Amino acid sequence: MLDLVLAGNLPKLDGIDALVPASALPNFRQTKAPSSKGDARVKGALLYSPSYEFDDGAYLELARGGGALVFSFSDVLGEKGFRRAIVISKMRLALAACRKSGCGFVFCTLAKNEAGLRNARELVAFMAVLGMTQEEKKHSKELLEKLVK
Amino acid sequence: MKPTARFKKRYVSFALSVDSAPPPAGEARSIVHEHFLSFFGESGVSSLAFKLIKYDEKSGRGMVRCERSRADETIFCMACLSEWKGKKARMESLSTSGTIRRV
Repeated sequence: MLDLVLAGNLPKLDGIDALVPASALPNFRQTKAPSSKGDARVKGALLYSPSYEFDDGAYLELARGGGALVFSFSDVLGEKGFRRAIVISKMRLALAACRKSGCGFVFCTLAKNEAGLRNARELVAFMAVLGMTQEEKKHSKELLEKLVK
Repeated sequence: MKPTARFKKRYVSFALSVDSAPPPAGEARSIVHEHFLSFFGESGVSSLAFKLIKYDEKSGRGMVRCERSRADETIFCMACLSEWKGKKARMESLSTSGTIRRV
């Protein structure tokens, strides 16, 4: 299993085959705008927004280009209490929108330091908590490997 | 109660550290209990069949029990621990099993 991170030289945890710095990926796009169709149009884009709020058009563009929405564990770690619950809720809604539009989704830590890293078991549990099926989990792992190469 | 009517259990082992060192048993117990209570709430913990089975303060390793269908939520809850009283904390899940002996 691969993991996207935001810093280099971090140690690999159990079950993680490789840590890939997001800055090294030409198709990784981070955006704050909900209507980020331009970023979504990039072929095989890995689209990430910490707010998890996108227009339906962005999801459709992402699906057309064979890209995927990035779900980051660091967004959950960065919040506490009620704010954390809201982030998880937004992620569930974004996942439902991905299913509806047919675009892919990938899971990673986007860790900035060692404290933000999580092992494969914890990432899989993160996927399960958001409501992914076994099939979706498998597809998500394969899609990340495909889009990173 | 019939065995089939009881909770189906899973045991999840973990490694706990606060500021990169294993905390003493009393502190570890309160970290685990308060974190699970904060994450699941009183109703959630009651339906989770949660129990801290054991904790070794030398190695920082321990084990919790949970309901089988909610093992993923338990692991996710552990992974969400990042801070304890202003110090960096980490509760890393190590393995899951249906029996204490095999964890």
